[in-house]
Amino acid sequence: MRTYKNDEIIDAVVIGTGAGGAPLLARLAKAGLKVVALEAGKNWSPKIDFATDEREQNKLFWNFERLSGGGDPIGFGKNNSGIGVGGSTLHYTAYTPRPQPHSFELYSYFGVGNNWPIGYTDLEPYFEELEQFLGISGPSPYPWGPARKKGYPLPPLPLNGPAQLMQRGCNIMGIKTSPAANAALSADYFQEQIGWRKACTNRGFCQAGCSTGAKASMDVTYIPYAIYYGAEVRAECMATAFEKNSEGEITGVVYKKYGNEERQLCRNVFICAGAIETPRLLLMNNLANSSGQVGKNFLAHVGLQVWGEFDENVRPYKGIPGGLISEDMVLPTDVNFSSGYLIQSIGVMPVTYATQLARAGKMWGEELRKKMRSFNQVAGINMHGECLSSEKNYLELSDEEDEMGLPKPRILFTAGENEKKMSDHGEKVMRQIWKEAGAKNLLSYHRKAHTLGTCRMGNNREEAVVNKDGNSYDVPNLFICDGSVFATSLSVNPALTIMALSLRTADLFLQKKQTGAHS
Amino acid sequence: MDYKYPEGSIVALLNTDLVTDITKKVLIERGQEKDYQPLFFTLPDFECLTIVCDCLMAQNSNNRMVTMAHAIDTRLNCKTGNGWRYNNMPSDDEMYREGLKGINKTANLLYNKKFIDLPKNHQLKVLGAVQKGLGDGFEWDQLQQQQFFEEMLAEVTEVFFSHPLVQDEMGYAGMADAKGWEKIRLNEREEREPIGIKIETRN
Repeated sequence: MRTYKNDEIIDAVVIGTGAGGAPLLARLAKAGLKVVALEAGKNWSPKIDFATDEREQNKLFWNFERLSGGGDPIGFGKNNSGIGVGGSTLHYTAYTPRPQPHSFELYSYFGVGNNWPIGYTDLEPYFEELEQFLGISGPSPYPWGPARKKGYPLPPLPLNGPAQLMQRGCNIMGIKTSPAANAALSADYFQEQIGWRKACTNRGFCQAGCSTGAKASMDVTYIPYAIYYGAEVRAECMATAFEKNSEGEITGVVYKKYGNEERQLCRNVFICAGAIETPRLLLMNNLANSSGQVGKNFLAHVGLQVWGEFDENVRPYKGIPGGLISEDMVLPTDVNFSSGYLIQSIGVMPVTYATQLARAGKMWGEELRKKMRSFNQVAGINMHGECLSSEKNYLELSDEEDEMGLPKPRILFTAGENEKKMSDHGEKVMRQIWKEAGAKNLLSYHRKAHTLGTCRMGNNREEAVVNKDGNSYDVPNLFICDGSVFATSLSVNPALTIMALSLRTADLFLQKKQTGAHS
Repeated sequence: MDYKYPEGSIVALLNTDLVTDITKKVLIERGQEKDYQPLFFTLPDFECLTIVCDCLMAQNSNNRMVTMAHAIDTRLNCKTGNGWRYNNMPSDDEMYREGLKGINKTANLLYNKKFIDLPKNHQLKVLGAVQKGLGDGFEWDQLQQQQFFEEMLAEVTEVFFSHPLVQDEMGYAGMADAKGWEKIRLNEREEREPIGIKIETRN
């Protein structure tokens, strides 16, 4: 790996190596720019370091404490926040559905929420590029959304027990289903400058880290690609502050490495630390916040899960967890809420399931022990639904300090009426699917998935933190690219969209650099 | 629904090449009982927590498979967490200390004894009251007892169900994936996956 000195003025520092940071790091490096990525977590060797054990794999989660409040407090850590080279893609389930076009124009369609300053067509070429580059497995043609120029490069991954059961229930109810698009390989796949990646072995442990490299997390795709083209990735380096010149431009990024403070000089900064750490870093430095919108508009998907027990042996730990999808409810008619949701089958790992029984089912003692002896009979369905922005939902800095002496973030979240109605609708549909499929002992688990929206993009500098190119309205050489820039939550798993934004942000930056707009 | 799996079938897999080296190391080490002296809790608190954990996972000193209090004490001593806490709750350190005080107070007000000196059925009643937010004692004015119960239960659950002996009881073979899985459809089983016998129960 090429390395740079702290006092060398490099072209860009990228803070964070997940879905927002890694693709643009690769793009900038390939264009010949001198780039360094700072990653708060470790650089793992998955084959050696990743155990098939949930508790051991807690090392993949952002475990610095966050304070969670509001009417419906969100669980962080293993629910939605990763750390390490690869960021949250280390633990993402690699669901990669494309968002549908109307999701970018929520206000125009429904008169609620917002419109994005960009649309589906702006991201479409990047979706296609990502699907081909990462080797996404999925059905072609895809049954929902606009027709596509290219199909998925690999056929879908095999259906596991939960997927078959959901298919059974949906068939009876007349709900259309399809094998899902997933960024795990259904066959060996060659990637430029990386080599052959091996097909998925159906370990089913995607959320606790893929030890085989079949899942397209950033550490096995864009990060090695970026390094090949000359990027430096500095693990265990936590960005904490910025140095600026008299014009208000950032000239250096201050970071902590093993307790010591260091500073990398640079011409540009891309903050890609996710929808909690990005606004936290900005608020700590009183940066890029003339709009007062940093930390506001926090969004989390409606993520209800329904579990059922079956007489058939499911053994839900095998195969990609989300084998089957239905997008029939993404734009439903005759409902009492705006926008919609998709549903996916879910397999599960035992500790995750047991913890849900404890928290949501309030089970303990013999009741819980007995329930867990039926673990091999369990299958789940979950929904991912739109979340509308609300003044009640935001992030702020608390006056408590974490282990590094930095203020802990406090996140307040209360589900709105639209989310409640949508969740109720989804619950009813999913419970019916499970009943039709023959499930017994149903259990609903109310959860919120993903962290989004705290530095949103928009066309108006008074209402948005960044413009449609991801550029800060206040600091000309500062860019933000991660889930925080989402103007609406989109009713799909966000990783593919974040990666598409990442490539687009890099391309627009490079175009302007060529024309002299950026140094 | 209840199932019984042949005892030892999962534990027997751990020393085979069906389990990766790192997984083997983690699970075998976890399965070994060690003498343990508390580093974070006082001895009385630690003893009380041990019994609370036993109640939560339906164990007692005769059939104890996992000592969850060890893991909790170790974690609190290392000052590591799970990435979040409820905004209205104190730090994990304080939550456990105050929560154990509250449990003892409720036990005392109900039965005039310390929690660990109560018979099992009374211990379960005390914990049931705390879970429902009905525990007596001024300690619970300072600490939201239902959230305390939920947080403690979630941690105890994670420690318990990640133990190889407990996974053996569940017939969970997921860790034996060094060679991946081919038979993943409904009712398909690979040889290393144990067969459970369904026990008819009333539900």
